[in-house]
Amino acid sequence: MALLEVVDLHVGYRVFEGYLKVLNGVNFEIEEQERVGLVGETGCGKTTLVKTILRVLPVPPARIQRGQVLYHGKDILLMSPREVRGLRRREMTAIFQDPLQALNPMFTIGTQLRDILKDSQERVGRGQRTQRAITARCISALRDTGMPDPERIMSNYPIQLSGGMRQRVCIAEALSRNVRLLLADEPTTNLDVTIQDQILRKLDQLVDQRGASVLIITHSMGVVRDLTQRLYIMYAGSMVETGRTKGVLASPLHPYTQGLMRSVPRLTGQGISDGIPGRIPNYLQPPSGCRFHPRCAHAMPVCVEAPPPFYPAGDNHRVACYLYRS
Amino acid sequence: MAKFIGQRLAQSLFVLFGLSLLIFFIARVVPGDPARAALGFLATQDQVEKMRAEMHLDKPFVVQYYYWFTGLLRGDLGKSSYTHRPVTTDLGQFIPATLELILFATLISLTVGQVTGVLAGYFRNSWFDGLSRLISYLGIATPSFVVAILLIFVFSQLLRLAPSVGRLPIMVAPPPTVTGFMVLDALIAGRVEVALVALKHLLLPAVSLALIHIAQEGRITRTSIVENLDKDYITMHKVHGIRTSRLVFKYLLRPSIIPTVAVIGLDFAFLMSNAFLVELVFMWPGFARYAVTTMLNKDLNAMVAVVLVIGVTFAMVNLLVDILITFLDPTIRIQRRGG
Ligand SMILES: Nc1ncnc2c1ncn2[C@@H]1O[C@H](COP(=O)(O)OP(=O)(O)OP(=O)(O)O)[C@@H](O)[C@H]1O
Ligand code: SF4
Ligand SMILES: [Mg+2]
Repeated sequence: MALLEVVDLHVGYRVFEGYLKVLNGVNFEIEEQERVGLVGETGCGKTTLVKTILRVLPVPPARIQRGQVLYHGKDILLMSPREVRGLRRREMTAIFQDPLQALNPMFTIGTQLRDILKDSQERVGRGQRTQRAITARCISALRDTGMPDPERIMSNYPIQLSGGMRQRVCIAEALSRNVRLLLADEPTTNLDVTIQDQILRKLDQLVDQRGASVLIITHSMGVVRDLTQRLYIMYAGSMVETGRTKGVLASPLHPYTQGLMRSVPRLTGQGISDGIPGRIPNYLQPPSGCRFHPRCAHAMPVCVEAPPPFYPAGDNHRVACYLYRS
Repeated sequence: MAKFIGQRLAQSLFVLFGLSLLIFFIARVVPGDPARAALGFLATQDQVEKMRAEMHLDKPFVVQYYYWFTGLLRGDLGKSSYTHRPVTTDLGQFIPATLELILFATLISLTVGQVTGVLAGYFRNSWFDGLSRLISYLGIATPSFVVAILLIFVFSQLLRLAPSVGRLPIMVAPPPTVTGFMVLDALIAGRVEVALVALKHLLLPAVSLALIHIAQEGRITRTSIVENLDKDYITMHKVHGIRTSRLVFKYLLRPSIIPTVAVIGLDFAFLMSNAFLVELVFMWPGFARYAVTTMLNKDLNAMVAVVLVIGVTFAMVNLLVDILITFLDPTIRIQRRGG
């Protein structure tokens, strides 16, 4: 059984103009101790997916229409708030895009880290020994991320730290307790290029030491190649291709992935300019069938009718495209 | 921090000096003869002239102000032409009664306002949020004296739960004055039952004063709770499994109460002016009633003193609020330290 399995997930947002059908039947899974990459244009629904898994989606405006998020076979979407909290404390956690917004400006780093450890344990002693042990664990969690002078950082407030240091704090927060799964949503997008690489390698090393699984969402093919074993390509609310990272990068099968590889490796800007004509679809009235069909050079009549399921394409490689119906 | 407080105090003194000049001048140019007002209609012209001289009203404005200011430095604010007592004695008697009322009202509005605001914000769009919104709008739209009359009718006349007149029943001997706060003085004197009676007398006037502020502060807190609920860092606290009680009362409340604390200073000034009608309705022997009486009687020294007391209170409360905010918000604290 997979550690995490998302089955046919449909999530949308109710906004002033109408209903945005964002996630459109997402299927994906992560095995124990697996490192999985997720790549997709901006706005394709990556953060929505992570927030749904962790049950922190703002509902409303968001609405989970249907689907399952199975953790060890148990549906997170059906869990009680109490079970969900237990899950976040001991099983899975996340790091998000913007480290400048991710820390509470009113409290010191030490306070925020200590509270996480206190609340992640079943029982916390009130004695001085326990308190000192917690502080020591916070300091070593900070040191593990490569943070200079962690003792001093404990009594600092977020505004006293640079973006890179704050992201290290976020990593320390996420990995201070032994979770089984880390969802890293573009953990370095807003950082200096020089620090990005350093932090990602540190993150990778820490996840490795703990034997945890990780989902790394990124716009960088370089990061994916270096740090992940398996890769998902996402387009407009669903997964279009998955397989071993090396395999997918070497021989992309889905027309969208092929366009992606031809374009620049970084997808942050205005969509994919030279690779694929057209823009990501409008979620108010998304294209029927395969959402990529208006931009696809191979589109066939069947593509307009129903979303294509995953078709196997050898060596763990699967593609959601009618070209591979065989 | 000390430097900041020093600067603010110096600023306040400067502003208060300006205020005293202004009110001193205005009190003298508004129509009406203070000497005549002090003596009444039966006084002869001679008596009035003598009174004018006694009050230095025959001297140039600057000289009058000089007399008054040197008096102030000696702690003498002159005599009230209406009560015929030193103004400082009057103030010592009336200010504590009003302060007790206003502080109690602030206490009520802060606690009730915060709690409803937090609940309404956390459970936004729930029935509780809707109900508290409705009551808030009613509370904001209804003048305090109308609330006072309604409260008297319901709780005093119909239900007979709380008294509606004065600070203590006439049969009860007041405790010796130490702070001027009836409840505190009774406690100091060791008369707990008197303190309770005094508290009961405080209840209705304080609630009538507080209601509008409960409504306002509740709305402000609700808005900032809702705003902060959408912040990434609250999502992160959740993602890391922080307990709900800690999340709400520590991580969510701290950033959310700052806007409310910031308006307390303004609320205080509003409370002082609003206290007049409430004091009238409840026959509360307070400062607001004294203030209006002195204005109506062109009681020069008392008028100037009254305005200054309000100015000083306003300056002090705002300084306290600023210190409190510095204490609550580390961002401001760090910026003030310049690091
Ligand atoms: N709170 C919200 N209210 C309304 N629409 C939303 C909300 N959050 C996201 N959306 C919409 O859902 C779509 C997917 O957003 P999401 O943040 O999941 O994309 P993403 O893949 O994470 O993009 P990025 O790479 O820019 O982070 C977007 O079109 C966005 O407009
Ligand atoms: S399913 Fe059809 S439209 Fe979609 S990518 Fe494949 S060929 Fe193109
Ligand atoms: Mg995102």
